[in-house]
Amino acid sequence: METSFAITGKGYVIVAADTTAARSIVKMKTDEDKIKALGPHLLMAYSGEPGDTVQFAEYVERNIRLYQIRHHYSLRPSAAASWVRRSLAESLRSRHPYSVNLLLGGYDEASDEPKLYWIDYLGTMTEVPFGAHGYGSYFALSLLDRCVKKYLVISGALICHSRYHNPDATLEEGIETLKRCIDEVAKRLIVSPSKYKVKIVDKDGVREIEL
Amino acid sequence: MARRYDSRTTIFSPEGRLYQIEYAMEAISHAGTVLGVLAKDGVVLAAEKKVTGKLLDLAGAKEGGYGGSGEKIFLLNSNVIGGVAGLTADANSLINYARTAAQKHLLTYNDDIPVEVLAQRLCDMKQGYTQFGGLRPFGVSLLYAGYDPHYQFQLYHSDPSGNYSGWKATCIGANNGTAQSLLKQEYKDDIEIKDAISLVLRVMSKTMDSTTLGSEKLEFAVLTLDPETKAPKAKIYRPAEIDALLQSEGLKKDEDAEMKPAQ
Amino acid sequence: MSIMENNGGSVIAMVGKECVAIACDLRLGNQALGVSSDFQKIFPVTDRIFLGLPGLGTDVTTLKELFRFRVNMYTIKEEREIEPETFAHLVSSTLYEHRFGPYFIEPVMAGLSKTPSGGFKPFIAATDLIGCLNFAKDFVVAGTASSKLFGVAEGLWEPDLEPEDLFETISQTIMNAVDRDAYSGWGCIVHVITKDQIVTRTLKARMD
Repeated sequence: METSFAITGKGYVIVAADTTAARSIVKMKTDEDKIKALGPHLLMAYSGEPGDTVQFAEYVERNIRLYQIRHHYSLRPSAAASWVRRSLAESLRSRHPYSVNLLLGGYDEASDEPKLYWIDYLGTMTEVPFGAHGYGSYFALSLLDRCVKKYLVISGALICHSRYHNPDATLEEGIETLKRCIDEVAKRLIVSPSKYKVKIVDKDGVREIEL
Repeated sequence: MARRYDSRTTIFSPEGRLYQIEYAMEAISHAGTVLGVLAKDGVVLAAEKKVTGKLLDLAGAKEGGYGGSGEKIFLLNSNVIGGVAGLTADANSLINYARTAAQKHLLTYNDDIPVEVLAQRLCDMKQGYTQFGGLRPFGVSLLYAGYDPHYQFQLYHSDPSGNYSGWKATCIGANNGTAQSLLKQEYKDDIEIKDAISLVLRVMSKTMDSTTLGSEKLEFAVLTLDPETKAPKAKIYRPAEIDALLQSEGLKKDEDAEMKPAQ
Repeated sequence: MSIMENNGGSVIAMVGKECVAIACDLRLGNQALGVSSDFQKIFPVTDRIFLGLPGLGTDVTTLKELFRFRVNMYTIKEEREIEPETFAHLVSSTLYEHRFGPYFIEPVMAGLSKTPSGGFKPFIAATDLIGCLNFAKDFVVAGTASSKLFGVAEGLWEPDLEPEDLFETISQTIMNAVDRDAYSGWGCIVHVITKDQIVTRTLKARMD
């Protein structure tokens, strides 16, 4: 039932997560914030087992902040993502693994580009141009494949195929695409969330927007 | 007076001193000199070897992947070189710890360990040996010459107490006072790497105990940035390269050269 | 559903004439849902050794980082690069350490080992998820499409292929094998290693 999306574009990452906190058939809360700011240029959307989610998210937030205080600079998105992934991978083979899926979006100031990481509860991590977790992902991903334009070029070979992504999309275009994902999930998912929280991270930091 | 308070690390003297640590530093002042100089485009480390002689088997060192005889200067990670002065066995243990710490950081953060963080890790460990456990401190001082994207080139010095500080130029081991004052006079803030190399070699030639200055007595290393990949490049010079460098600086001194004027 | 088939992916390595080739697909999935078409499973260990890690995605990353740690320590202490046979045993013992709680990976290695005369000999090896080594002389396969890879490789491989021919052979093998497997595909990458250079090519493959 919990759905989260994230899309990268020109100098930004948009992270969106639903705001419903439910237990069985009851919606306990409709304004839950499931996106944490881990640093001045890092956002993390979490979903999964209730309890595990907030515990793990706060554990990550506090440790990233501790690193920043101790060493006087913040971790780059790739380093923070590696730390988070390793924490999950170590938890996997412990007595009670955390069951949390994440989308980690950040702005890398060293290389001036947005970064997005898809991480699941096993500690599987991959850098993606756009990503989603939850049942919503089954509807959103193929939509994002089509709507977001780009030609993938790997090691000199131009690969044109049915998947497109545009790394130069403006923020307005990105938000439009996000709206299409949300509408699609609302239309097709049997119990779809009504409201989403949307946050953006770019070179100026983290901010929240209203759709 | 000191006699009663110096046999254990874990007790203070009435004057508030920890004698074991001071004695450790005394041990270091008898060890071979290690000199480090920070330039704006690199860091230079040089060291005087104490374990030398005709019978020493250095065959492996000549072709070794990282050069050096492995007595004073060591590669700690692709972005940090370490220079040690003091008890060799203690130094080897610390070098191993530093290498493991650097790899553990890489494992957790997928990023090279920042130089200050590496220095802190070692110092945190060394401080433990001054406060609990009843074990003696490490009789080693280290110089860390490194690069990271946050603070660029850096030079740190840590001692047996577990304290460290950042330096523009510093020296540890025997004759470090002389070397330090020479460095103070000659060091300029915007020094370039090639001038730093000359400075280091000149100061070494003045402070080293021996009359000869060659690859048998000298270890040398430089850390710079690769111009294309922008990645840190650590170079520990091979004996042949050290001799060539000394030759080009006009500082090479052999046994025979010293004897000649006596004619 | 089997843990080894959760994320999907396959790797193959082949021996040629004074060269080796190793190839993998690029898919990372969450059961039937494809998540990434850029998930590489082959990593360079040294200039002459490549390691392929097909299996559970989280363990792919964990093992790649763990081997990087161990090989870095080896290189820095021994002051020389690790040899392929030695590395294969390192892989085997690392996996056996977790005999009763294993990593869900079946590693494949390809490299060139030094001969006493100073030349280079092609080397391939594979292990199962608990470290049982297999030093094949022709090719080794692993992953969700392993049975299909065996079939095509057996048909196409012949001894003493030159680097260019080896590239064609391994490419055809992997592309056709993963096309028959639902959990592998979404792009392929091939590395051909000779004593002078490494050539990496991404194949134009079916993206379905």
